[in-house]
Amino acid sequence: MKANDLLVLANRNLWRRKGRTILTVLGMTIGTVSVIVLFSLGIGLAEWQRVSMEQWGSLNIITVSQAFFYPGMPEEERDKLRLLNEQAVSEIEAMPGVLGVAPAFTVGGEARKGRERGYLQLIGIEPGKMALMEFEPKAGRLLHDEDRYNVVAGAHVINNFMQLGRPGPAAVIGPPAGRDSLELLDQRLVLTLQNARGQKRRYTLNVVGILGPQFAERAHSVYAPLSLLREMHNFINQGAQPAQVHLVEPVNRQRDQAAGLQRVRRRERLELQYSFASVRTKSVEYTKQLGEELRQMGYQAHSIADQLEGIEQGTRTVQAVLGGIGAISLLVATIGIINTMVMSIYERTREIAVIKVLGASFSDIRGLFLTEAALIGLLGGILGLVCSFLLSLLINIYAGAAIGAGAMGPEAPPVRISVIPLWLTVFALAFSTTIGLIAGLYPATRAMRLDPVTAMRHY
Amino acid sequence: MAILALRDIVKKYRMGDSIVTALDHLSITVEDGEFVTVSGTSGCGKTTLLNIAAGLERPTKGEVRFRNVALNKLKEKDLVLFRRKFMGFVFQGYNLLPALTALENVALPLVFAGIARKERLARAMQALELVGLADRCRHKPMEMSGGQQQRVSIARALVNRPKIIFADEPTGNLDTRTSAEIVAHLKEAAKRDRQTVVLVTHDSNIAGIADRIIYMSDGRLVDE
Ligand SMILES: Nc1ncnc2c1ncn2[C@@H]1O[C@H](COP(=O)(O)OP(=O)(O)O)[C@@H](O)[C@H]1O
Ligand SMILES: [Mg+2]
Repeated sequence: MKANDLLVLANRNLWRRKGRTILTVLGMTIGTVSVIVLFSLGIGLAEWQRVSMEQWGSLNIITVSQAFFYPGMPEEERDKLRLLNEQAVSEIEAMPGVLGVAPAFTVGGEARKGRERGYLQLIGIEPGKMALMEFEPKAGRLLHDEDRYNVVAGAHVINNFMQLGRPGPAAVIGPPAGRDSLELLDQRLVLTLQNARGQKRRYTLNVVGILGPQFAERAHSVYAPLSLLREMHNFINQGAQPAQVHLVEPVNRQRDQAAGLQRVRRRERLELQYSFASVRTKSVEYTKQLGEELRQMGYQAHSIADQLEGIEQGTRTVQAVLGGIGAISLLVATIGIINTMVMSIYERTREIAVIKVLGASFSDIRGLFLTEAALIGLLGGILGLVCSFLLSLLINIYAGAAIGAGAMGPEAPPVRISVIPLWLTVFALAFSTTIGLIAGLYPATRAMRLDPVTAMRHY
Repeated sequence: MAILALRDIVKKYRMGDSIVTALDHLSITVEDGEFVTVSGTSGCGKTTLLNIAAGLERPTKGEVRFRNVALNKLKEKDLVLFRRKFMGFVFQGYNLLPALTALENVALPLVFAGIARKERLARAMQALELVGLADRCRHKPMEMSGGQQQRVSIARALVNRPKIIFADEPTGNLDTRTSAEIVAHLKEAAKRDRQTVVLVTHDSNIAGIADRIIYMSDGRLVDE
């Protein structure tokens, strides 16, 4: 028997009992809808979390700094402590999955902008690495190699500045005060630094770019060429016991506690140590993996992706629970198909015997009933898919808007809480058809075994 | 030459604790092209005989030779091939598929034989013409009389151009005149293509047109 004849005949048989077939298909539809929609909620949840994480910082960047020494630190951890110096940067750069490393110095200080005064958090970066580190200006430009006193400011830096004479917090924490960040563009900021000897030095900085709204963690910093920051660092450290001294060689004995700082080996003290370094990775997977490796190596390393891991774990649990609930209704639908097929075989006992006498082989009969069951599954799958898309749309319109507003303020765009990716569509159709086939297995085998003699005996 | 030879066939059925002997050391030979009728009281084993001769059932003892092949030793898979190629069946209850039209019903054996749609519909149409029902080809079985349904089922038995046709009381549900007509159709077709017919009937009129009449009683031959 040819495949297309099989399909035509199976389809014909299916619609002899329209009501029953429709009800069975409906059962399958409900099963499919519950699986798809519940799955889509799990996927939507994960995607939404990812998007909200990405607003905070890049998933492809790890921030590495020297681990802190603390008194009473276990010896084996202390021995692992590493300096973040030139050599370390090139070591990290050579690790697989690393696209680039941008070492940075930070300096903080009071700055003036015309008649206003504010605290500046200055971060030095090699201008050529800004694009790699996913800096995006919303106005102006990023730094060039020739820039010396030009800087790029985060979107909320403007809110650090206050009119002279009025008291106020240096840095704004929480919702921004709402000044237009573009106000800062092309402005001069005058930063005054003081070193341990009490000497002062003035730097006049020119704002050539304002960062876009992405990566909230960068919004309060001002980015300057690394060479300028190195110079500032050297100035500040003149005459000072380097602040990082205790990082270099930790104090481990009681009697050293007072004199501990003097125990620093000269070579290490003079060595340049960066405040931190940004490591750009190839992908989120590498970010997670490299973060772990860097911590193993003795650095401090953190990234947005670290938090993603924990959240994803939670999401997976939610997905499994939702999927499980869907699976139950699918199981019920499967039993429905088996029931329908078994009933159909009871009704058609004589007919099956007749076609056996007329030359239908075992595989013809089995194929016929398997095809019928698979068709029920497929139809249920298609109908379920259509219903799922509608339901998903409704969920996104009503529940999504409410959740978006609840999480990110009234003007926030609606959250797509239910997401049906292509793979889920394909998977759902293949899955429902397979379920139909599995459900048809037992009835088809029964039909196959029926005795053809039944056709000849006239009861 | 004998197309069918049953030798010393015994068929026993288990009915709960007791054993029923449906065929009791029965031997028959049917010649190629012969039109044979089988008569006998109800329950004497006629249907059982037909089933065993067609390879639908296996004898408890004895040998069935069809064109010199021992059917009782063949596997189910090969028996199906034999049925498709060499055998046609007419049942007492017509046994047409209610979902299919007359034409589709006639073409059904060719579907299982894997013959392409166009060819099998053409052949089915020819067979319907042979029984005088070409104009009813689009009708469903429910829309036809008993006699017409049985003519469709005869067309179905003829469609694969079998060597032998087994008919089990094909006129059992029909009036005398229709019965005579139907059997005439069958005989005419069979004679033209030199097909062998084994036909079970109670009706002595019908038995009358046979080349040979076999009488059975209690699973044995009583007379020829
Ligand atoms: N499957 C079966 N199980 C038990 N007994 C059967 C079975 N088939 C037939 N018989 C018995 O075998 C005998 C012959 O039956 P059958 O060949 O149908 O007779 P006929 O067709 O001549 O009326 C009867 O006594 C019947 O009861
Ligand atoms: Mg009988």
